[in-house]
Amino acid sequence: MNDSKPLTGGGLLFKVLEQHGVEHIFGYPGGAIMPIYDALVDSNVQHFLCRHEQGASFSAVGYARASGKIGVCMATSGPGATNLITGLADALADSIPLVAITGQVPTAAMGSDAFQETDIFGLSLACTKHSFQVTDINDLEKVLHQAFAIALEGRQGPVLVDIPKDIQIAAVEQKFTKASSLKNKVKLPLADITKALDLLTHAKRPILYVGGGVGMANAIDEVRSFAETTGLPSVSTLKGLGALNHTSENYLGMLGMHGTKAANLAVHDCDLLIAVGARFDDRVTGKLDQFAPDAKVIHFDIDAAEINKRRIADAPILGDLKENLPLLTMSLNIEDWQTQIQEMKADCAWRYDHPGDGIFAPAVLKEVSDLMPENTCVTTDVGQHQMWAAQHMSFDDPSDWLTSGSMGTMGFGLPAAIGAQISRPHDTVIVVSGDGSIMMNVQELATIKRYQIPVKIILIDNAKLGMVRQWQDLFFDGRLSETDLSDNPDFVMLATAFDIKAKQITQKGEVTAAIKEMLDHDGAYLLQVKIDAQENVWPLVPPNSANNEMMESA
Amino acid sequence: MNNYKLIIMTDDKQVVLERILQVTRYRGFLINGMTAQVNTGNNIATIELLVSSDRPISLLIDQINKLVDIKSVEVDNSASQLCSA
Repeated sequence: MNDSKPLTGGGLLFKVLEQHGVEHIFGYPGGAIMPIYDALVDSNVQHFLCRHEQGASFSAVGYARASGKIGVCMATSGPGATNLITGLADALADSIPLVAITGQVPTAAMGSDAFQETDIFGLSLACTKHSFQVTDINDLEKVLHQAFAIALEGRQGPVLVDIPKDIQIAAVEQKFTKASSLKNKVKLPLADITKALDLLTHAKRPILYVGGGVGMANAIDEVRSFAETTGLPSVSTLKGLGALNHTSENYLGMLGMHGTKAANLAVHDCDLLIAVGARFDDRVTGKLDQFAPDAKVIHFDIDAAEINKRRIADAPILGDLKENLPLLTMSLNIEDWQTQIQEMKADCAWRYDHPGDGIFAPAVLKEVSDLMPENTCVTTDVGQHQMWAAQHMSFDDPSDWLTSGSMGTMGFGLPAAIGAQISRPHDTVIVVSGDGSIMMNVQELATIKRYQIPVKIILIDNAKLGMVRQWQDLFFDGRLSETDLSDNPDFVMLATAFDIKAKQITQKGEVTAAIKEMLDHDGAYLLQVKIDAQENVWPLVPPNSANNEMMESA
Repeated sequence: MNNYKLIIMTDDKQVVLERILQVTRYRGFLINGMTAQVNTGNNIATIELLVSSDRPISLLIDQINKLVDIKSVEVDNSASQLCSA
């Protein structure tokens, strides 16, 4: 900041961001946020101009998830602000710490239907953990500190700060306000630990069910130590992938709608379910009253509202996983169950010997997973390619696996990868996308070009909205409705227009060389992988069915 | 359909009433009545909310409790009653 200029609200914003260690932000300027963009010029914070505010919000989400830091995005009032909403909703659903700054029309014009005025403060109520509108310059510093504290504390989430233009311009003095910590309403009843210990000691067929909360709590070491010491067979949710040691003989992979057969059968048969940072999501449980029907439940969570929300817990354990999980760590006598689990795992192993010369997407993703360097971060979009990636790729840490789990937001993958790559410049970042999803935020190829971001894009192309087509075939009598994308653009030409090297492959024999070429390339690369449009994701638990009733073919 | 009376104590902050109403609707509760008063001495608001739902009231209490400005949420058992819809 140039000290000769008086500090304004806009300048104060960047001083606070710097206080919180923010180095990178994502955004798009416009009329009502121009004073903030003017102050940006004098700031040490590096801004990445995305080509749509939704791209900015997803880049901030990707940045946060890949780095463990808070993601920051900003946009102008009206359409700029509303374009952030999908990213905020995604961050809320997946508990991602985000601070979103929006410009607002001047306070005197608020409520007058002014140009580019929208009530983003009101709109934010359902898609943020909390939100503020600053109407007094003297509140700005405190509010910004509060926003960071709220985004990070307890169950993490997005916070929006709406700043009218006159507040951005107003002169202010920095007071170096300290953020007050929030009150912790969570109390742990000691009796629940005793009950949990009793349940664990007496269980014959226990299963460890791990969710995204483990990574959010930075409790990966604790959960792995717990799994190893107890010898518990384990399963993961979509967002929990990477938290457990995927090479463990007792690890069965993902459970739920597209989970592994072994994971779903084991959970169905278990007599004790130890849910750790998981919330019994409908995509996990299938028909709820038939989910793990014979199991008692120990439920670890930071959020009291998740306890007993979908499944009654016999022993709820509220609070910090890092502190609570070691309280249950003990060796167990479950050899017979472990043997059964390992046999089940062997019987249900994936097969990649797909007939014909065409490309089998699961085999491609398995090979990418085997060939990608250590610490590679993978992002996905949403659809069949996402489920194949979850099934056939392996991750060493949840921060290496960024997927829109709860919201299932198409268009997430490409901008999230941009954010991930900026936060981890020395790691490889791979986007696994589909031909439907990539078009949702395809404009972010321009961001990749502008900042020379070396992300690798694997485009699984079946010229369809594949997952919807699969469901239309299976559950709507094959009545295909608006799922054909055979008029897609030439993706190689499209990437080339953004100076991104690109290649299309159509035959199985081309796969290995193409993956190696992509990974060895210094800059951004798009590998278009043409696959059979009729391929389905298996197994599949049909709607309103128990997880042991999964389909394995049409 | 079960009827409940909730007594909510909250800091008197921006849009806190809207937040409570939004959460109540979204979590599947009908709002049958409401009173709200602010103690200007300590800026604590007391909101009495009459709601009804088939869902357990604990689900709503937990969700309202998550709102940043909320200090406490209690069910007034003397005023709550079970009745059929």
